[in-house]
Amino acid sequence: MKRIKQISIFVENKPGRLLDVVEVLGNSNIDIKAISLADSSDFGIVRLICENPESAYEVINNSGFTASLTEVLAIAISDKPGSLAKVLRALKESDVNIEYMYGFSAKTKDHAVMIIKVSNLEETIKCCISNNVQVLSENDISSIV
Amino acid sequence: MIYDDEIETLPREALEALQFKRLQQTLERVYALVPFYKEAFRKANITPSDIKSLKDLHKLPFTTKDDLRDSYPYGMFSMPIDQIVRIHASSGTTGKPTVVGYSRADIEEWSQLMARSFVACGATSKDIIQNAYGYGLFTGGLGAHYGAEKLGAAVIPISGGNTKKQIMIMVDFKSTVLTATPSYAQLLADTIEEMGLLDKINLRVGVFGAEPWSENMRQKLEEKLRINAMDIYGLSEIMGPGVAIECEAKEGLHIWEDAFIPEIIDPDTQEPLEDGQEGELVITTIKKQAMPLIRYRTKDITKIIKEPCKCGRTHRRIQKILGRSDDMIIIRGVNVFPSQIESVLMEIEGLAPHYQLIVDRINNLDTLEVQVEVDSKIFSDEIRKLQGLQNQIQKDIKDILGITTKVTLVETRTLERSEGKAKRVIDKRKI
Repeated sequence: MKRIKQISIFVENKPGRLLDVVEVLGNSNIDIKAISLADSSDFGIVRLICENPESAYEVINNSGFTASLTEVLAIAISDKPGSLAKVLRALKESDVNIEYMYGFSAKTKDHAVMIIKVSNLEETIKCCISNNVQVLSENDISSIV
Repeated sequence: MIYDDEIETLPREALEALQFKRLQQTLERVYALVPFYKEAFRKANITPSDIKSLKDLHKLPFTTKDDLRDSYPYGMFSMPIDQIVRIHASSGTTGKPTVVGYSRADIEEWSQLMARSFVACGATSKDIIQNAYGYGLFTGGLGAHYGAEKLGAAVIPISGGNTKKQIMIMVDFKSTVLTATPSYAQLLADTIEEMGLLDKINLRVGVFGAEPWSENMRQKLEEKLRINAMDIYGLSEIMGPGVAIECEAKEGLHIWEDAFIPEIIDPDTQEPLEDGQEGELVITTIKKQAMPLIRYRTKDITKIIKEPCKCGRTHRRIQKILGRSDDMIIIRGVNVFPSQIESVLMEIEGLAPHYQLIVDRINNLDTLEVQVEVDSKIFSDEIRKLQGLQNQIQKDIKDILGITTKVTLVETRTLERSEGKAKRVIDKRKI
Protein backbone atom coordinates (compact mmCIF):
# COMPACT_ATOMS: atom_id res chain seq x y z
CA MET A 1 0.00 0.00 0.00
CA LYS A 2 1.60 3.18 -1.13
CA ARG A 3 -1.07 5.45 0.32
CA ILE A 4 -0.71 6.55 3.88
CA LYS A 5 -3.32 7.81 6.26
CA GLN A 6 -3.15 11.30 7.65
CA ILE A 7 -5.27 12.50 10.56
CA SER A 8 -6.90 15.87 9.95
CA ILE A 9 -8.37 17.70 12.92
CA PHE A 10 -10.62 20.76 13.06
CA VAL A 11 -9.48 23.29 15.66
CA GLU A 12 -10.72 26.74 16.51
CA ASN A 13 -8.16 29.46 16.16
CA LYS A 14 -7.55 30.17 19.82
CA PRO A 15 -4.65 29.80 22.23
CA GLY A 16 -3.94 26.31 23.48
CA ARG A 17 -5.98 24.26 21.02
CA LEU A 18 -2.96 22.84 19.22
CA LEU A 19 -1.51 22.01 22.61
CA ASP A 20 -4.74 20.15 23.47
CA VAL A 21 -4.38 18.01 20.35
CA VAL A 22 -0.77 17.03 20.93
CA GLU A 23 -1.37 16.43 24.62
CA VAL A 24 -4.15 13.99 23.86
CA LEU A 25 -1.76 12.09 21.58
CA GLY A 26 1.16 12.33 24.01
CA ASN A 27 -0.96 10.97 26.85
CA SER A 28 -1.81 7.97 24.69
CA ASN A 29 1.86 7.47 23.86
CA ILE A 30 1.40 8.22 20.19
CA ASP A 31 4.50 9.44 18.38
CA ILE A 32 3.88 12.20 15.86
CA LYS A 33 6.02 11.72 12.76
CA ALA A 34 5.03 14.89 10.96
CA ILE A 35 2.61 17.72 11.67
CA SER A 36 1.38 20.82 9.93
CA LEU A 37 -1.15 23.48 10.78
CA ALA A 38 -3.16 25.22 8.11
CA ASP A 39 -5.12 28.22 9.24
CA SER A 40 -7.87 30.57 8.16
CA SER A 41 -9.00 33.59 10.14
CA ASP A 42 -11.02 31.70 12.72
CA PHE A 43 -10.21 28.03 12.42
CA GLY A 44 -7.37 25.77 11.50
CA ILE A 45 -6.78 22.22 10.40
CA VAL A 46 -4.08 20.20 12.08
CA ARG A 47 -2.71 17.51 9.79
CA LEU A 48 -0.45 14.87 11.16
CA ILE A 49 1.21 11.59 10.37
CA CYS A 50 1.83 9.04 13.07
CA GLU A 51 2.20 5.31 13.50
CA ASN A 52 -1.05 3.38 13.68
CA PRO A 53 -3.29 6.20 12.43
CA GLU A 54 -6.55 4.30 13.08
CA SER A 55 -6.00 4.08 16.80
CA ALA A 56 -4.73 7.66 16.94
CA TYR A 57 -7.92 8.72 15.14
CA GLU A 58 -9.98 6.88 17.76
CA VAL A 59 -8.17 8.71 20.53
CA ILE A 60 -8.67 12.10 18.88
CA ASN A 61 -12.32 11.43 18.09
CA ASN A 62 -13.09 10.23 21.60
CA SER A 63 -11.58 13.41 22.96
CA GLY A 64 -14.34 15.40 21.29
CA PHE A 65 -12.51 16.68 18.24
CA THR A 66 -13.97 16.56 14.77
CA ALA A 67 -11.41 14.71 12.68
CA SER A 68 -11.04 12.59 9.60
CA LEU A 69 -8.61 10.10 8.13
CA THR A 70 -7.37 11.33 4.76
CA GLU A 71 -5.32 9.41 2.24
CA VAL A 72 -2.17 11.22 1.23
CA LEU A 73 1.13 10.26 -0.37
CA ALA A 74 4.57 10.42 1.18
CA ILE A 75 7.37 10.75 -1.30
CA ALA A 76 11.08 10.60 -0.64
CA ILE A 77 13.24 13.07 -2.46
CA SER A 78 16.96 13.47 -2.31
CA ASP A 79 18.04 16.28 -0.05
CA LYS A 80 19.68 18.52 -2.56
CA PRO A 81 18.75 21.67 -4.52
CA GLY A 82 16.34 21.19 -7.41
CA SER A 83 15.02 17.78 -6.49
CA LEU A 84 11.58 18.97 -5.35
CA ALA A 85 11.24 20.97 -8.56
CA LYS A 86 11.97 17.82 -10.53
CA VAL A 87 9.16 15.94 -8.83
CA LEU A 88 6.70 18.79 -9.18
CA ARG A 89 7.52 19.16 -12.85
CA ALA A 90 6.68 15.52 -13.41
CA LEU A 91 3.38 15.92 -11.57
CA LYS A 92 2.54 19.02 -13.54
CA GLU A 93 3.13 17.17 -16.77
CA SER A 94 0.66 14.53 -15.62
CA ASP A 95 -1.79 17.29 -14.78
CA VAL A 96 -1.87 16.44 -11.09
CA ASN A 97 -3.05 19.22 -8.82
CA ILE A 98 -1.54 19.46 -5.34
CA GLU A 99 -4.06 20.50 -2.68
CA TYR A 100 -1.43 20.94 -0.01
CA MET A 101 2.04 19.76 0.92
CA TYR A 102 4.33 19.72 3.90
CA GLY A 103 7.70 18.20 4.50
CA PHE A 104 9.92 16.71 7.15
CA SER A 105 13.44 15.44 7.11
CA ALA A 106 14.29 11.80 7.49
CA LYS A 107 16.84 10.25 9.84
CA THR A 108 19.10 9.48 6.96
CA LYS A 109 20.76 12.71 5.93
CA ASP A 110 20.34 12.33 2.22
CA HIS A 111 16.54 12.25 2.01
CA ALA A 112 13.61 14.51 2.79
CA VAL A 113 10.00 13.33 2.94
CA MET A 114 7.17 15.33 1.46
CA ILE A 115 3.52 14.66 2.34
CA ILE A 116 1.23 15.62 -0.51
CA LYS A 117 -2.53 15.64 -0.92
CA VAL A 118 -3.40 15.45 -4.58
CA SER A 119 -6.48 15.46 -6.74
CA ASN A 120 -5.79 12.03 -8.19
CA LEU A 121 -3.93 9.48 -6.09
CA GLU A 122 -3.63 6.68 -8.64
CA GLU A 123 -2.39 8.95 -11.36
CA THR A 124 0.15 10.49 -9.00
CA ILE A 125 1.52 7.12 -7.88
CA LYS A 126 1.92 6.03 -11.51
CA CYS A 127 3.61 9.27 -12.37
CA CYS A 128 6.03 8.97 -9.43
CA ILE A 129 6.95 5.42 -10.30
CA SER A 130 7.60 6.19 -13.93
CA ASN A 131 9.80 9.11 -12.90
CA ASN A 132 11.74 7.11 -10.31
CA VAL A 133 10.31 9.05 -7.38
CA GLN A 134 10.09 6.86 -4.31
CA VAL A 135 6.59 6.65 -2.79
CA LEU A 136 6.71 5.52 0.82
CA SER A 137 4.40 3.08 2.57
CA GLU A 138 3.43 3.33 6.23
CA ASN A 139 6.15 0.79 7.07
CA ASP A 140 8.74 2.82 5.17
CA ILE A 141 7.79 5.88 7.17
CA SER A 142 8.15 4.06 10.48
CA SER A 143 11.62 2.88 9.57
CA ILE A 144 13.10 6.03 8.12
CA VAL A 145 11.59 8.79 10.24
CA MET B 1 -59.01 10.17 14.37
CA ILE B 2 -60.90 12.62 16.54
CA TYR B 3 -61.05 12.35 20.33
CA ASP B 4 -64.19 14.37 21.03
CA ASP B 5 -66.16 14.29 17.81
CA GLU B 6 -69.06 16.42 19.00
CA ILE B 7 -67.08 19.41 20.23
CA GLU B 8 -64.19 19.25 17.74
CA THR B 9 -66.49 19.32 14.72
CA LEU B 10 -69.18 21.60 16.19
CA PRO B 11 -70.59 23.86 13.44
CA ARG B 12 -69.15 27.38 13.56
CA GLU B 13 -72.37 29.13 14.65
CA ALA B 14 -72.87 26.76 17.54
CA LEU B 15 -69.19 27.04 18.47
CA GLU B 16 -69.32 30.83 18.42
CA ALA B 17 -72.51 30.85 20.48
CA LEU B 18 -70.77 28.62 23.01
CA GLN B 19 -67.76 30.92 22.99
CA PHE B 20 -69.88 33.98 23.66
CA LYS B 21 -71.75 32.31 26.52
CA ARG B 22 -68.48 31.25 28.12
CA LEU B 23 -66.89 34.65 27.51
CA GLN B 24 -69.75 36.34 29.37
CA GLN B 25 -69.40 33.93 32.28
CA THR B 26 -65.65 34.55 32.38
CA LEU B 27 -66.02 38.32 32.30
CA GLU B 28 -68.55 38.25 35.14
CA ARG B 29 -66.21 36.03 37.08
CA VAL B 30 -63.05 38.11 36.78
CA TYR B 31 -64.93 41.39 37.25
CA ALA B 32 -66.38 40.14 40.51
CA LEU B 33 -63.42 38.20 41.86
CA VAL B 34 -60.13 39.61 40.52
CA PRO B 35 -59.37 43.18 41.69
CA PHE B 36 -56.87 43.59 38.84
CA TYR B 37 -59.64 43.15 36.25
CA LYS B 38 -62.19 45.25 38.13
CA GLU B 39 -59.66 48.10 38.03
CA ALA B 40 -58.62 47.43 34.42
CA PHE B 41 -62.26 47.42 33.25
CA ARG B 42 -62.95 50.61 35.20
CA LYS B 43 -59.98 52.32 33.53
CA ALA B 44 -61.25 51.17 30.12
CA ASN B 45 -64.68 52.46 31.13
CA ILE B 46 -66.33 49.13 30.44
CA THR B 47 -68.33 46.50 32.31
CA PRO B 48 -69.04 42.89 31.33
CA SER B 49 -72.55 43.79 30.17
CA ASP B 50 -71.10 46.12 27.52
CA ILE B 51 -69.81 43.09 25.65
CA LYS B 52 -72.80 42.12 23.54
CA SER B 53 -71.17 39.81 21.02
CA LEU B 54 -67.79 38.31 20.16
CA LYS B 55 -67.19 41.34 17.97
CA ASP B 56 -66.97 43.51 21.09
CA LEU B 57 -63.97 41.55 22.37
CA HIS B 58 -61.52 44.17 21.17
CA LYS B 59 -63.04 46.72 23.54
CA LEU B 60 -61.61 44.83 26.50
CA PRO B 61 -58.21 45.73 27.95
CA PHE B 62 -55.17 43.54 27.36
CA THR B 63 -53.37 41.47 29.97
CA THR B 64 -49.57 41.33 29.73
CA LYS B 65 -46.81 39.30 31.29
CA ASP B 66 -45.90 42.35 33.34
CA ASP B 67 -49.41 42.37 34.80
CA LEU B 68 -48.85 38.79 35.90
CA ARG B 69 -45.49 39.69 37.43
CA ASP B 70 -47.00 42.65 39.25
CA SER B 71 -49.63 40.40 40.80
CA TYR B 72 -47.03 37.86 41.99
CA PRO B 73 -47.74 35.34 43.31
CA TYR B 74 -51.53 34.90 43.64
CA GLY B 75 -53.00 38.24 42.58
CA MET B 76 -54.62 36.94 39.38
CA PHE B 77 -56.34 33.97 41.01
CA SER B 78 -60.13 34.12 41.06
CA MET B 79 -60.35 31.41 43.69
CA PRO B 80 -59.19 31.05 47.27
CA ILE B 81 -56.07 28.92 47.63
CA ASP B 82 -57.97 26.02 49.23
CA GLN B 83 -59.68 25.37 45.89
CA ILE B 84 -56.39 25.41 43.98
CA VAL B 85 -54.93 21.96 43.36
CA ARG B 86 -51.82 22.81 41.31
CA ILE B 87 -49.46 25.75 40.89
CA HIS B 88 -47.06 26.13 37.98
CA ALA B 89 -44.67 28.97 37.23
CA SER B 90 -42.77 30.02 34.17
CA SER B 91 -39.07 30.50 34.39
CA GLY B 92 -38.47 34.21 34.57
CA THR B 93 -35.02 35.13 33.35
CA THR B 94 -35.66 38.64 34.57
CA GLY B 95 -37.22 39.16 37.97
CA LYS B 96 -40.04 37.11 39.41
CA PRO B 97 -41.61 34.14 37.62
CA THR B 98 -45.21 34.26 36.48
CA VAL B 99 -47.46 32.03 38.53
CA VAL B 100 -50.46 30.03 37.29
CA GLY B 101 -53.02 28.26 39.47
CA TYR B 102 -55.40 25.45 38.51
CA SER B 103 -58.58 24.17 40.12
CA ARG B 104 -59.48 20.50 39.95
CA ALA B 105 -61.80 21.25 37.02
CA ASP B 106 -58.98 23.16 35.26
CA ILE B 107 -56.68 20.15 35.49
CA GLU B 108 -59.44 17.91 34.13
CA GLU B 109 -60.08 20.34 31.26
CA TRP B 110 -56.34 20.60 30.47
CA SER B 111 -56.05 16.80 30.45
CA GLN B 112 -58.99 16.60 28.03
CA LEU B 113 -57.47 19.18 25.69
CA MET B 114 -54.10 17.39 25.79
CA ALA B 115 -55.79 14.05 25.08
CA ARG B 116 -57.57 15.65 22.10
CA SER B 117 -54.23 17.01 20.98
CA PHE B 118 -52.51 13.64 21.18
CA VAL B 119 -55.26 12.05 19.09
CA ALA B 120 -55.04 14.86 16.52
CA CYS B 121 -51.33 13.98 16.22
CA GLY B 122 -52.19 10.37 15.53
CA ALA B 123 -51.60 8.90 18.99
CA THR B 124 -53.98 6.32 20.48
CA SER B 125 -54.52 4.58 23.80
CA LYS B 126 -52.24 1.79 22.55
CA ASP B 127 -49.21 4.06 22.36
CA ILE B 128 -46.21 4.14 24.68
CA ILE B 129 -45.52 7.83 25.20
CA GLN B 130 -42.01 8.80 26.27
CA ASN B 131 -42.49 12.20 27.86
CA ALA B 132 -39.18 14.06 27.66
CA TYR B 133 -40.65 17.43 28.58
CA GLY B 134 -39.29 18.67 31.88
CA TYR B 135 -41.39 17.86 34.94
CA GLY B 136 -41.62 20.57 37.52
CA LEU B 137 -42.73 24.17 37.57
CA PHE B 138 -42.62 24.09 33.74
CA THR B 139 -46.04 23.01 32.44
CA GLY B 140 -44.69 20.77 29.65
CA GLY B 141 -43.99 17.61 31.64
CA LEU B 142 -47.13 17.34 33.76
CA GLY B 143 -49.36 18.75 31.02
CA ALA B 144 -48.37 16.07 28.53
CA HIS B 145 -48.36 13.45 31.29
CA TYR B 146 -51.98 14.04 32.35
CA GLY B 147 -53.12 14.16 28.74
CA ALA B 148 -51.39 10.88 27.94
CA GLU B 149 -53.00 9.21 30.96
CA LYS B 150 -56.40 10.66 30.07
CA LEU B 151 -56.00 9.15 26.62
CA GLY B 152 -55.18 5.82 28.21
CA ALA B 153 -51.72 5.52 26.69
CA ALA B 154 -48.77 4.17 28.68
CA VAL B 155 -46.74 7.19 29.72
CA ILE B 156 -43.04 7.05 30.59
CA PRO B 157 -42.41 10.09 32.82
CA ILE B 158 -38.71 10.33 32.04
CA SER B 159 -38.58 14.16 31.95
CA GLY B 160 -35.85 16.01 30.03
CA GLY B 161 -32.13 15.31 29.99
CA ASN B 162 -30.03 12.22 30.68
CA THR B 163 -29.82 11.56 26.97
CA LYS B 164 -28.10 8.16 26.92
CA LYS B 165 -30.60 6.77 29.40
CA GLN B 166 -33.49 8.25 27.38
CA ILE B 167 -32.25 6.32 24.39
CA MET B 168 -31.78 3.08 26.27
CA ILE B 169 -35.36 3.35 27.52
CA MET B 170 -36.64 4.38 24.11
CA VAL B 171 -35.14 1.21 22.62
CA ASP B 172 -35.93 -1.21 25.46
CA PHE B 173 -39.44 0.06 26.27
CA LYS B 174 -40.29 0.34 22.57
CA SER B 175 -41.63 3.89 22.93
CA THR B 176 -43.89 4.83 20.03
CA VAL B 177 -44.49 8.53 20.77
CA LEU B 178 -41.90 11.09 21.87
CA THR B 179 -42.88 14.37 23.48
CA ALA B 180 -40.06 16.91 23.77
CA THR B 181 -38.89 20.34 22.78
CA PRO B 182 -37.78 20.23 19.12
CA SER B 183 -34.21 21.16 20.03
CA TYR B 184 -34.02 18.31 22.50
CA ALA B 185 -35.56 15.97 19.93
CA GLN B 186 -32.76 17.02 17.58
CA LEU B 187 -30.14 16.28 20.22
CA LEU B 188 -31.76 12.89 20.84
CA ALA B 189 -31.86 12.14 17.10
CA ASP B 190 -28.19 13.04 16.66
CA THR B 191 -27.18 10.94 19.63
CA ILE B 192 -29.26 7.95 18.50
CA GLU B 193 -27.53 8.20 15.14
CA GLU B 194 -24.06 8.45 16.72
CA MET B 195 -24.83 5.36 18.78
CA GLY B 196 -25.92 3.53 15.63
CA LEU B 197 -29.38 2.82 17.05
CA LEU B 198 -31.61 4.39 14.41
CA ASP B 199 -32.84 0.93 13.40
CA LYS B 200 -33.62 -0.03 16.98
CA ILE B 201 -36.21 2.60 17.81
CA ASN B 202 -39.96 2.18 17.40
CA LEU B 203 -41.09 5.80 17.38
CA ARG B 204 -43.84 6.74 14.97
CA VAL B 205 -44.99 10.14 16.26
CA GLY B 206 -43.16 13.10 17.79
CA VAL B 207 -45.09 15.86 19.56
CA PHE B 208 -42.76 18.82 19.72
CA GLY B 209 -43.37 22.27 21.13
CA ALA B 210 -42.49 24.99 23.64
CA GLU B 211 -40.18 26.76 21.19
CA PRO B 212 -40.49 27.85 17.56
CA TRP B 213 -39.05 25.44 14.99
CA SER B 214 -38.88 25.39 11.23
CA GLU B 215 -40.40 23.22 8.51
CA ASN B 216 -36.90 22.13 7.56
CA MET B 217 -36.22 20.96 11.06
CA ARG B 218 -39.44 18.98 10.84
CA GLN B 219 -38.24 17.27 7.68
CA LYS B 220 -34.89 16.38 9.22
CA LEU B 221 -36.51 14.95 12.34
CA GLU B 222 -39.06 13.02 10.31
CA GLU B 223 -36.44 11.53 8.01
CA LYS B 224 -33.96 10.65 10.69
CA LEU B 225 -36.37 9.21 13.25
CA ARG B 226 -38.92 7.98 10.70
CA ILE B 227 -41.78 9.68 12.53
CA ASN B 228 -44.56 12.13 11.98
CA ALA B 229 -43.24 15.24 13.72
CA MET B 230 -46.17 17.32 14.99
CA ASP B 231 -46.19 20.82 16.36
CA ILE B 232 -47.95 21.54 19.63
CA TYR B 233 -48.54 25.02 20.98
CA GLY B 234 -49.18 26.25 24.46
CA LEU B 235 -48.00 28.61 27.10
CA SER B 236 -48.17 28.30 30.84
CA GLU B 237 -49.99 31.58 31.39
CA ILE B 238 -52.90 30.32 29.29
CA MET B 239 -52.75 26.69 30.44
CA GLY B 240 -49.67 24.86 29.20
CA PRO B 241 -49.21 22.56 26.19
CA GLY B 242 -52.36 21.69 24.27
CA VAL B 243 -53.72 25.18 23.50
CA ALA B 244 -53.33 24.41 19.79
CA ILE B 245 -52.24 21.35 17.87
CA GLU B 246 -51.48 20.18 14.37
CA CYS B 247 -53.68 17.54 12.82
CA GLU B 248 -52.54 15.04 10.18
CA ALA B 249 -52.92 17.73 7.48
CA LYS B 250 -49.95 19.60 9.01
CA GLU B 251 -51.30 22.88 7.69
CA GLY B 252 -51.51 24.93 10.84
CA LEU B 253 -52.48 24.24 14.41
CA HIS B 254 -56.12 24.00 15.54
CA ILE B 255 -56.66 26.22 18.53
CA TRP B 256 -59.26 24.72 20.84
CA GLU B 257 -61.89 27.38 20.46
CA ASP B 258 -64.32 25.96 22.99
CA ALA B 259 -61.74 26.94 25.61
CA PHE B 260 -59.88 29.87 24.06
CA ILE B 261 -60.68 32.83 21.84
CA PRO B 262 -57.74 33.76 19.61
CA GLU B 263 -57.17 37.20 18.07
CA ILE B 264 -54.32 38.64 16.04
CA ILE B 265 -53.23 42.20 16.70
CA ASP B 266 -50.62 44.52 15.31
CA PRO B 267 -48.03 44.43 18.11
CA ASP B 268 -47.14 48.09 17.61
CA THR B 269 -50.55 49.75 17.23
CA GLN B 270 -52.37 47.03 19.23
CA GLU B 271 -55.21 47.19 16.69
CA PRO B 272 -56.95 43.91 15.81
CA LEU B 273 -56.04 42.40 12.42
CA GLU B 274 -58.17 40.35 10.04
CA ASP B 275 -57.88 36.58 9.81
CA GLY B 276 -55.00 35.78 7.48
CA GLN B 277 -52.90 38.76 8.53
CA GLU B 278 -49.70 38.18 10.45
CA GLY B 279 -49.34 39.67 13.90
CA GLU B 280 -49.23 38.91 17.59
CA LEU B 281 -51.49 36.19 18.96
CA VAL B 282 -53.79 37.32 21.78
CA ILE B 283 -55.77 34.72 23.72
CA THR B 284 -58.77 34.97 26.03
CA THR B 285 -59.48 31.92 28.15
CA ILE B 286 -63.19 31.15 28.44
CA LYS B 287 -63.26 27.93 30.40
CA LYS B 288 -60.65 28.34 33.07
CA GLN B 289 -61.76 28.75 36.66
CA ALA B 290 -58.75 29.47 38.81
CA MET B 291 -57.01 32.01 36.66
CA PRO B 292 -58.89 33.20 33.58
CA LEU B 293 -57.02 35.71 31.43
CA ILE B 294 -58.62 38.33 29.23
CA ARG B 295 -56.85 39.21 25.96
CA TYR B 296 -53.48 37.91 27.06
CA ARG B 297 -50.66 39.09 24.79
CA THR B 298 -48.64 35.99 23.97
CA LYS B 299 -45.86 37.80 22.04
CA ASP B 300 -46.01 34.92 19.54
CA ILE B 301 -46.16 35.92 15.89
CA THR B 302 -48.58 34.00 13.69
CA LYS B 303 -51.79 34.38 11.70
CA ILE B 304 -55.24 32.83 11.91
CA ILE B 305 -56.30 30.46 9.13
CA LYS B 306 -60.09 30.52 8.95
CA GLU B 307 -60.54 28.23 5.93
CA PRO B 308 -61.99 24.82 6.84
CA CYS B 309 -59.42 22.08 7.42
CA LYS B 310 -59.57 18.80 5.55
CA CYS B 311 -59.50 16.89 8.88
CA GLY B 312 -63.06 18.01 9.59
CA ARG B 313 -62.36 19.95 12.78
CA THR B 314 -64.16 23.29 12.81
CA HIS B 315 -61.80 25.03 15.23
CA ARG B 316 -59.72 27.61 13.37
CA ARG B 317 -56.01 27.16 12.92
CA ILE B 318 -53.01 29.32 13.65
CA GLN B 319 -49.99 29.13 11.40
CA LYS B 320 -46.87 27.44 12.80
CA ILE B 321 -45.37 30.06 15.10
CA LEU B 322 -42.78 32.11 13.25
CA GLY B 323 -41.15 33.42 16.37
CA ARG B 324 -41.74 35.58 19.38
CA SER B 325 -41.92 39.30 19.10
CA ASP B 326 -39.48 39.42 22.00
CA ASP B 327 -36.84 37.05 20.61
CA MET B 328 -37.13 38.60 17.24
CA ILE B 329 -33.78 40.18 16.52
CA ILE B 330 -33.73 43.50 14.75
CA ILE B 331 -30.50 43.75 12.79
CA ARG B 332 -30.03 47.12 11.18
CA GLY B 333 -33.78 47.49 10.93
CA VAL B 334 -34.44 44.02 9.53
CA ASN B 335 -36.58 41.68 11.63
CA VAL B 336 -35.01 38.25 11.94
CA PHE B 337 -36.26 35.21 13.79
CA PRO B 338 -33.82 32.49 14.79
CA SER B 339 -36.14 29.99 13.08
CA GLN B 340 -35.51 31.73 9.74
CA ILE B 341 -31.75 31.35 10.08
CA GLU B 342 -32.28 27.76 11.11
CA SER B 343 -34.36 27.18 8.02
CA VAL B 344 -31.57 28.50 5.79
CA LEU B 345 -28.98 26.30 7.51
CA MET B 346 -31.16 23.23 7.14
CA GLU B 347 -31.46 23.82 3.40
CA ILE B 348 -27.73 23.32 2.96
CA GLU B 349 -26.85 19.77 2.00
CA GLY B 350 -25.42 17.72 4.82
CA LEU B 351 -25.89 20.44 7.37
CA ALA B 352 -27.95 19.54 10.45
CA PRO B 353 -26.26 22.06 12.54
CA HIS B 354 -26.14 23.13 16.08
CA TYR B 355 -25.95 26.86 15.79
CA GLN B 356 -26.01 30.00 17.85
CA LEU B 357 -26.58 33.61 16.92
CA ILE B 358 -24.43 36.30 18.48
CA VAL B 359 -25.77 39.81 18.13
CA ASP B 360 -23.49 42.72 18.91
CA ARG B 361 -23.12 46.39 18.15
CA ILE B 362 -19.71 47.46 16.94
CA ASN B 363 -19.09 51.12 16.08
CA ASN B 364 -22.83 51.77 16.26
CA LEU B 365 -23.51 49.05 13.71
CA ASP B 366 -25.43 45.90 14.55
CA THR B 367 -23.58 42.70 13.74
CA LEU B 368 -24.91 39.19 13.54
CA GLU B 369 -22.55 36.28 13.87
CA VAL B 370 -23.80 32.81 13.07
CA GLN B 371 -21.76 30.16 14.81
CA VAL B 372 -22.09 26.72 13.28
CA GLU B 373 -20.58 23.58 14.70
CA VAL B 374 -18.43 21.51 12.37
CA ASP B 375 -19.34 17.86 12.70
CA SER B 376 -17.82 14.91 10.90
CA LYS B 377 -20.39 15.15 8.09
CA ILE B 378 -19.32 18.58 6.94
CA PHE B 379 -15.67 18.51 7.96
CA SER B 380 -13.17 18.54 5.16
CA ASP B 381 -9.43 18.57 5.59
CA GLU B 382 -9.17 21.22 2.91
CA ILE B 383 -9.46 24.79 4.14
CA ARG B 384 -11.02 26.02 0.94
CA LYS B 385 -13.94 23.59 1.20
CA LEU B 386 -14.73 24.76 4.71
CA GLN B 387 -14.38 28.37 3.62
CA GLY B 388 -16.66 27.57 0.72
CA LEU B 389 -19.23 26.32 3.23
CA GLN B 390 -18.86 29.52 5.26
CA ASN B 391 -19.38 31.59 2.13
CA GLN B 392 -22.38 29.56 1.07
CA ILE B 393 -24.10 30.00 4.44
CA GLN B 394 -23.35 33.70 4.34
CA LYS B 395 -24.67 34.04 0.81
CA ASP B 396 -27.83 32.02 1.44
CA ILE B 397 -28.69 34.12 4.49
CA LYS B 398 -28.03 37.26 2.49
CA ASP B 399 -30.15 36.04 -0.41
CA ILE B 400 -33.07 34.87 1.65
CA LEU B 401 -33.13 37.25 4.61
CA GLY B 402 -31.26 40.20 3.15
CA ILE B 403 -28.82 40.58 5.99
CA THR B 404 -25.06 40.35 6.07
CA THR B 405 -23.70 37.98 8.66
CA LYS B 406 -20.36 36.71 9.79
CA VAL B 407 -20.33 32.94 9.74
CA THR B 408 -17.94 31.26 12.14
CA LEU B 409 -17.21 27.57 12.17
CA VAL B 410 -16.71 26.27 15.68
CA GLU B 411 -15.67 22.94 17.11
CA THR B 412 -18.34 20.37 17.69
CA ARG B 413 -20.02 20.33 21.10
CA THR B 414 -18.80 23.79 22.01
CA LEU B 415 -22.24 25.37 21.76
CA GLU B 416 -24.51 24.85 24.70
CA ARG B 417 -26.65 21.73 24.29
CA SER B 418 -30.20 22.16 25.35
CA GLU B 419 -32.11 19.64 27.36
CA GLY B 420 -34.93 22.13 27.68
CA LYS B 421 -35.42 25.20 25.55
CA ALA B 422 -32.50 25.96 23.25
CA LYS B 423 -30.66 29.19 23.76
CA ARG B 424 -30.23 30.30 20.18
CA VAL B 425 -29.50 33.97 20.58
CA ILE B 426 -26.93 35.82 22.62
CA ASP B 427 -27.48 39.55 22.39
CA LYS B 428 -24.45 41.47 23.55
CA ARG B 429 -25.79 44.85 22.50
CA LYS B 430 -26.04 47.42 25.21
CA ILE B 431 -28.88 49.63 24.13
